[in-house]
Amino acid sequence: MKRIRRFFRNGNIGYLFVLPAALYMILLAGYPIVSNIILGFQDVNVSSLNKPDKPFVGFHNYRILLEDPVLRTSLVNTFVFTIGCLVLQFSIGFALALFFNRGFPGAKPIRGLMMIPWMIPMTVTALIFKFMFSSNVGIINQALQAIGLVAQPIDWLLNPISARFALIVANTWIGIPFNMILLFAGLTTIPVELTEAAAIDGATRWHAFRKITVPMLKPVIEAVLMLGFIYTFKVFDLVFVMTNGGPANSTHLLSTLSYKLSFSLFKYSQGAAVANILFVILLTVSVLYLRFVYEDKEAA
Amino acid sequence: MNGRKVSSKRSAVGLSVLSIVVFVILMFPIYWIVVTSLKKEIEIFKVPPTLVPHELNLDSYVAQLKHGDFNMFGSFKNSFIISASTMLISLVLAIPASYGIARFKFKGKRVFLLSFLVTQMLPVSVLLTPMFIMFRNAHILNTQLSPILADATIGIPFSVLILIGYFASIPRELEDASRIDGCNRFSAFLSVFLPIAMPGVVVCVVFSFLYGWGDLAYGMTFLQDQVMRPITAGIFNFMGQYGTKWSYLTAFAVVTIAPVVLIFVFMQNYIISGLTSGAIKG
Repeated sequence: MKRIRRFFRNGNIGYLFVLPAALYMILLAGYPIVSNIILGFQDVNVSSLNKPDKPFVGFHNYRILLEDPVLRTSLVNTFVFTIGCLVLQFSIGFALALFFNRGFPGAKPIRGLMMIPWMIPMTVTALIFKFMFSSNVGIINQALQAIGLVAQPIDWLLNPISARFALIVANTWIGIPFNMILLFAGLTTIPVELTEAAAIDGATRWHAFRKITVPMLKPVIEAVLMLGFIYTFKVFDLVFVMTNGGPANSTHLLSTLSYKLSFSLFKYSQGAAVANILFVILLTVSVLYLRFVYEDKEAA
Repeated sequence: MNGRKVSSKRSAVGLSVLSIVVFVILMFPIYWIVVTSLKKEIEIFKVPPTLVPHELNLDSYVAQLKHGDFNMFGSFKNSFIISASTMLISLVLAIPASYGIARFKFKGKRVFLLSFLVTQMLPVSVLLTPMFIMFRNAHILNTQLSPILADATIGIPFSVLILIGYFASIPRELEDASRIDGCNRFSAFLSVFLPIAMPGVVVCVVFSFLYGWGDLAYGMTFLQDQVMRPITAGIFNFMGQYGTKWSYLTAFAVVTIAPVVLIFVFMQNYIISGLTSGAIKG
C-alpha cells in the first residue's frame, strides 16, 4: 500500500493518462503535418503516388506557385476575406454585445438563440447564401428590384468583385454571434460601479466607453480578433460550396486552391505546398496568440 | 453604458422590441430556407417573393422518402454514425488526458498542453492530402473509419482544453477525503471527479458531435461512394446535380440543421459556456 501510494504521489503516472491521446494526435496530426512539409518538396502526382520512392525536387513546387497568378490572387483574397470579415463581424458583434449588456426583458433567450448561425454546418450556410444571392431566384435581387434600386438582377456570384463581397457577407453572418458572445462575456466582468462613477463625474457615454470599457476589455478584444483571424483564415467549406473559387479562379482562398490542386488536378505536391504556406501564416498568428494568452495569465 | 437597470420601464420595452427586430433580421436566412422548402417550385420563382407559402407543399420532404435517386435519410444516418463515433473517440481519449494534465506534475506537461492548443488551430487543408495518402496505404479509404479518425483530431484537443479547467478547479481536499473513505485513485476519479466535471463533459459531447456533423472536407474526400457519405457531402453533391431545384435543396438543408437546432435549444447554456471558456481560457 505504501509503495503504491509513493508511486501515485510521484507525478509520473500523469504520463499514463496523457499517453493515449498524445499518441493519437502524434499519429493523426503530427505525422501528417511533417509529411505534408515533405510532400511540398517532392513531386507527387497520380502516377508517382504508388511508387515507394518519390522524387525530391527542392523548392520547385514553390517556385512554380510563386509564378502562378492564381496563387497570388488566392493569397490576396485570403487576406482581404479575413480582414473584411473581421472588421464587419467585430464591429457588429461588439455593437450587439453592448446592446445586450444593457439588460432588458427577454435579453437572455434572444442573445442565446442568436448563436444558431455559428452552430450550423458551413455547407448549409453556403447553400443558404448561394440561394439568397442567386441571380434569378435570390431574395436579395428581388428585394433590390422591388424597391427600385436596380433595374436588372445582379449576377452576384458570377462577377469576381461581387462574389467576394457575397462570401464576406456569408462568413460575417457566421462570425457575428461568436464575436458577440465573447465580447458580452467580457463586458459582464466590468464592474457596473466603474461606469456609474464615471457618469456621476460627468463623463459622457462615449467618453466612458473609450476610457473605461475598451481598456478593460482589451485582453478579450485581442483574443477575439486573433481567434477570429485564425478561424477565418482557414475557412474552406463556405467558399468551396458557394463559388468553388469561381468565376475563373478569382475567389479562391489558399484552402480551396490547395484542395483544387490536390483533388481536382491531382498535383498532390503543389496542393501540399499551398497548404504549407497557409500553415506557416496561421502558425505565426497562433504563436503570437498563445504567447499573449500566457503573458496575460502570468501577469494576472 | 453598463447599466443593468434601465432608467424607465418604457425604454426597457423599447430595447426589447429593438432586440426582436435585430433577431428577426439576423435569423431571416434560416427562416427563408424553411419557408422555401415548403413552397412549390413555381412559387419560389414568384416576384415579388411570398413571405409565407401560399400553398403548403411537403413534396420536397416526401420525395426524399419515396424514390431515392438521392437518399437524404441514408446520408443522415451516415452523418450520425460519423459524428457519434467522433464524439466517443474524443471523449475516451480526452477525459484521461485532461485529468492527467490537470492533476499531476510531470516533465513535458507544458509541451503537451501547447501541442493540443496548436492542433486546435490547424487548418483542414494541411492534414487532408497526407491523410488521404495515409488512409489509402492503410486501405481504410472509402470506409467511414477515415472521416471518423480525421474528425477526432479536432474533437480531442478541444475536449482536453475544456476539461482541464474543470478538473483543475476541483479542490485537493475533496480528493484526499475520498481517499480516506477508502477510494482508490480510479474509483475516486469515477465517483468524485467525473461527476463534478460533468458539465464540461457535456460541452465536449456536444462540440465533438457537432464537429463531425459539420465536416465536409474529410467526408467528401475520403469517401468516394455516395451511399457512405455524410449529409454535408450529400448536399454538395445534390447542388451539383440539381443546382436550381431549390425546393429540394432547402429541404435537405433544413433536415441537416434540424438536429443542430434541437441540440442547441436543449443545451444552450452548456454550449455558450463551452464557447466562452474554450476561447478565453484557451
